Amino acid sequence: MTPNGAILFGLIVIGGAMILGDLAGLSVLLAVCVGFGAIEIQGRTIKALAWSAGIVAPLLVFMGLVWIGVVGRSPAEIAAGLPGTRTAALLHVAIVCLRLFLVALVVQLVILRFAHVTSLQFIRAMTVPLTLKKLLVLTLSWIDTILHAVDRSRTALITAGVITPRLSLRNAGNGWILVQTVWLSVITIAIGRLRDKWPVENTLARLDAALKAAPQPLAMRDWMWISAAAAAIVIAKAA
Amino acid sequence: MFTTPRLIVIALCAALNFAVGTIVYLIKLPIYLDSIGTILCALLLAADRKAAFVCACLAGGIGILISGLLLNPFLPWFVATVVAIALVTAFITANGALVFRARPMPTGAFAARVLVYGILTGLAAAVVSAPVVAYLFGGVTGSGSAFIVALFLKAGQQVLSAALLSGLTAEPVDKTLQVLFAALLYRATPGDFIAMLQAPEGAVRAKPQ
Repeated sequence: MTPNGAILFGLIVIGGAMILGDLAGLSVLLAVCVGFGAIEIQGRTIKALAWSAGIVAPLLVFMGLVWIGVVGRSPAEIAAGLPGTRTAALLHVAIVCLRLFLVALVVQLVILRFAHVTSLQFIRAMTVPLTLKKLLVLTLSWIDTILHAVDRSRTALITAGVITPRLSLRNAGNGWILVQTVWLSVITIAIGRLRDKWPVENTLARLDAALKAAPQPLAMRDWMWISAAAAAIVIAKAA
Repeated sequence: MFTTPRLIVIALCAALNFAVGTIVYLIKLPIYLDSIGTILCALLLAADRKAAFVCACLAGGIGILISGLLLNPFLPWFVATVVAIALVTAFITANGALVFRARPMPTGAFAARVLVYGILTGLAAAVVSAPVVAYLFGGVTGSGSAFIVALFLKAGQQVLSAALLSGLTAEPVDKTLQVLFAALLYRATPGDFIAMLQAPEGAVRAKPQ
């Protein structure tokens, strides 16, 4: 399977989850996703299911409290001006949560399918403009730099007694100093790289060369999963 | 438009969005603070409004794409909100760029601008986010604002108007804080770096020793 095929598959499933508005249709799409997981990532499907459930669980609690607990009727009943029932509210919550679960699941399945390749390899294989590839790689690199800067600045400010390691009033007052210190550290690194380091190392030209790749055609396996997802949406919509 | 320093600033601001958004998401603060990088990007490029808008859109878009893949898969749905924030910042908030960098700080003018621009950004974000909140989340996201939505729904409002009213209540506060943080970071950014962003491609050279 290629990264482009997996991204297309993910987009079709997400599109389908938005189109389908009933539990049966969404369940068909869920079956396709579980099938994808079972074949493409095998045992790690459980991890993907658990991660998605963990993401949706707080939303389920909030929605349950609001719709079933407080409002007590579904949006359709509110629109029609009917008194409504908690059962209809429960159905509404189930549909929205299953849709969100599908979105989270397919994203996680695609990530786990390519867990063995590096971010650079994955981005290189994508069929998107070179500038966008470069921006993605640079952003991932800056995220690391910022997190390191947070670590260093936090330690320095704790040592200086400006902030504390735990929740405190001093942190609320001086937390801003940490943000400013991190930003100044990162800007200093950026100026250094732009003026001195990268021109000497020819980093950006090397990055261009590393990211340029001939467009990769979709593999048979890509077409198989894309067709399965599309067919599931058509069948569920028609039923 | 995309000189090397500008590419760097887009990536830097996208990474800032991700880093701050991650911290806020993980410690479950009742605010988002995930657009500071988008606002800051537009402020850093305030001299060229079109570039400010395009670069801020890219910074915000890449930020939510990466956050969507690594943290919260529902964030990319709010891409239209990113565009709205970039638009307001590049064409309205950027008017305050000189005041934000003035030394000594004109406290009154600074605070007034932060408040006005924050509220405007919040209103735009609320209007654009409401349809996503109403349709994708059925009106209720996993934040404290869910209870504001519940209040409006209980009062007989439709889902879309409840999501909009809730957004109009919560977003201006969040966005005012974000404009404040972005303005302070913009103020702290060395002039050298801002000058690099205005220079044509190839003009950035090593300082003579």
